[in-house]
Amino acid sequence: MSATDAGTVAPQRPTKPRPSPMRYVAVGVVALLTWLAASDLTGIGLVSRLQRTFADGIPDRTAEIFDQILSPDWSILGATVDPFLETLAMAVLGTLLGCSLALLVAFGASAITAGGRKRLAGTRSIMSVIRSVPDVMWALVFVSAVGTGTISGLLALVLFNIGVVAKLLSETIDAVDTGPLEAADAAGAGIIARARTAVFPQVLPNYLAFSLYAFEINVRASAVLGLVGAGGIGQLLLFFRNRFDYDRVSLVVVEIFVFVFLTELLSITLRRRLTE
Amino acid sequence: MSAVTSAPRRTDKPQRPDAPSGFGRKAGFVIVLVLAVLAWNAAGLQLDKLVRAPARILRLAELLFLWPQWDAFGIAMQGMLESVQMAWLGTLIAAVLSLPLSLLAARNVSGRFGSEATRQVLNGIRAFPELVLVILIVTVFGLGPVTGTIALGIHSIGTLGKLSSEAVESIDRGPLEAVDAVGGTWAQRMRWGVLPQAMPEIVAFWLYRFEINIRASAVLGVVGAGGIGAQLTETLRYKEFGRAGMAFVVVVVVTLMIDAISGRIRRRIISGAADDRDVDGEAKAQLEVDPIIAAEAGAVRDGEV
Repeated sequence: MSATDAGTVAPQRPTKPRPSPMRYVAVGVVALLTWLAASDLTGIGLVSRLQRTFADGIPDRTAEIFDQILSPDWSILGATVDPFLETLAMAVLGTLLGCSLALLVAFGASAITAGGRKRLAGTRSIMSVIRSVPDVMWALVFVSAVGTGTISGLLALVLFNIGVVAKLLSETIDAVDTGPLEAADAAGAGIIARARTAVFPQVLPNYLAFSLYAFEINVRASAVLGLVGAGGIGQLLLFFRNRFDYDRVSLVVVEIFVFVFLTELLSITLRRRLTE
Repeated sequence: MSAVTSAPRRTDKPQRPDAPSGFGRKAGFVIVLVLAVLAWNAAGLQLDKLVRAPARILRLAELLFLWPQWDAFGIAMQGMLESVQMAWLGTLIAAVLSLPLSLLAARNVSGRFGSEATRQVLNGIRAFPELVLVILIVTVFGLGPVTGTIALGIHSIGTLGKLSSEAVESIDRGPLEAVDAVGGTWAQRMRWGVLPQAMPEIVAFWLYRFEINIRASAVLGVVGAGGIGAQLTETLRYKEFGRAGMAFVVVVVVTLMIDAISGRIRRRIISGAADDRDVDGEAKAQLEVDPIIAAEAGAVRDGEV
């Protein structure tokens, strides 16, 4: 510092920006919420439960169950084929129906194609209500209304898919190129002609990709819908679990894992090719 | 181009391009049709049940919502609060665990083998549905919200890790090169080259996952893992429809409220304060596009998630 003589002026370093006070507020709020959620008094008692589990060690019964889980009972492999087919069928039908309906809903949920502020607001609010209810909860309600079986699972998947696909697709429609839209408007196209000719061709690859993604989600969901009585492999899983046949539970879990993993790989590969 | 030397042959009428054959589309239709018929047969749907379904669903809707049981409101809120707490802690666990994994999975800051291996691990984690995880975890931690929280935490690592690695892959290389130029270590590259750029989007993904996990945690009670799901199952089973309807409404309203708050924070994180001002009609219309949903849609389309 003292070496710099009066003639040369050292380039000034820019001052370091001070972190915004909002950052401390945010960290404080997150810490407080976490403490409230985890504590024994106001929350779920996460820490004390973990401490107790590790202090007590693994009980004998759990160790026994783990032994069973680690040796799946392959002898019932044949009996799981039919429930799996049912699950797959439910996923396929759910995707086809759900995605067809989602296409219509998506056009109603985008400002570009809705044709009117009221219709837009109406579609969007119905969509947020549908999206706020999880798939299994829909299944619970439908099982209660229609009875146990694949129909309840199918209806749940259809509603759930409308929520997912319509949301993703309407965001895509919002971002389409407006050139074809102007052409359609200039030629005097009505709402439907406009959507079909100017918008649909632009979003078709996206729509197919979203539908494949929906199928992947459906395979995962339909595997568990049976837990509430909505048919498929989940019902078998529940049956084995209620009888504490953990070696069979484990087999079904392994099968679900392989099944879902392969569907994911297939869907991801197809989607990559679709948009290349 | 040769067009300069040899002019195109003159024709009296402008030629229309050939219409596309549409073979792909027709083949697609046939495949979908065959799939639908096969699936219809395999599902074993009873038609009479299907026909009666709409009337039955309307009847149930009446039973659920026309006679609300206000004395069940407190219990429903308590159950939902537990669900929200599970979702919050589960998301936090997943956020902490997925951040290092997302750095390992990003192709631009990780080795080729490492990123591919990490991606497959993330895919694998995602392939276990939460409810299946609960059935396994319950053997260690017993029935209750802690089991549900851990299941949510583990399942969310898969999606969060992949979406976050997308955010890392879209960063500008400049700061990374600057850290390399001054001889930064791996940790310094991540801390100063990657995280300052990727963190806003990653935090927004965390919040988005929190919104999704609230939905997931609301049903974990079905298999005894805490939250409002147990109330829903039991009230529906014992046909206490007024109470079930109350629980249903509480789930929807609380979920929508948290969505609205979390969505605002997400937008603020991604777009900064400037966008909050309503400059003119156009600026407001832009605000309506949800950047995180758009990012998710892009990742889905490109086969990244």
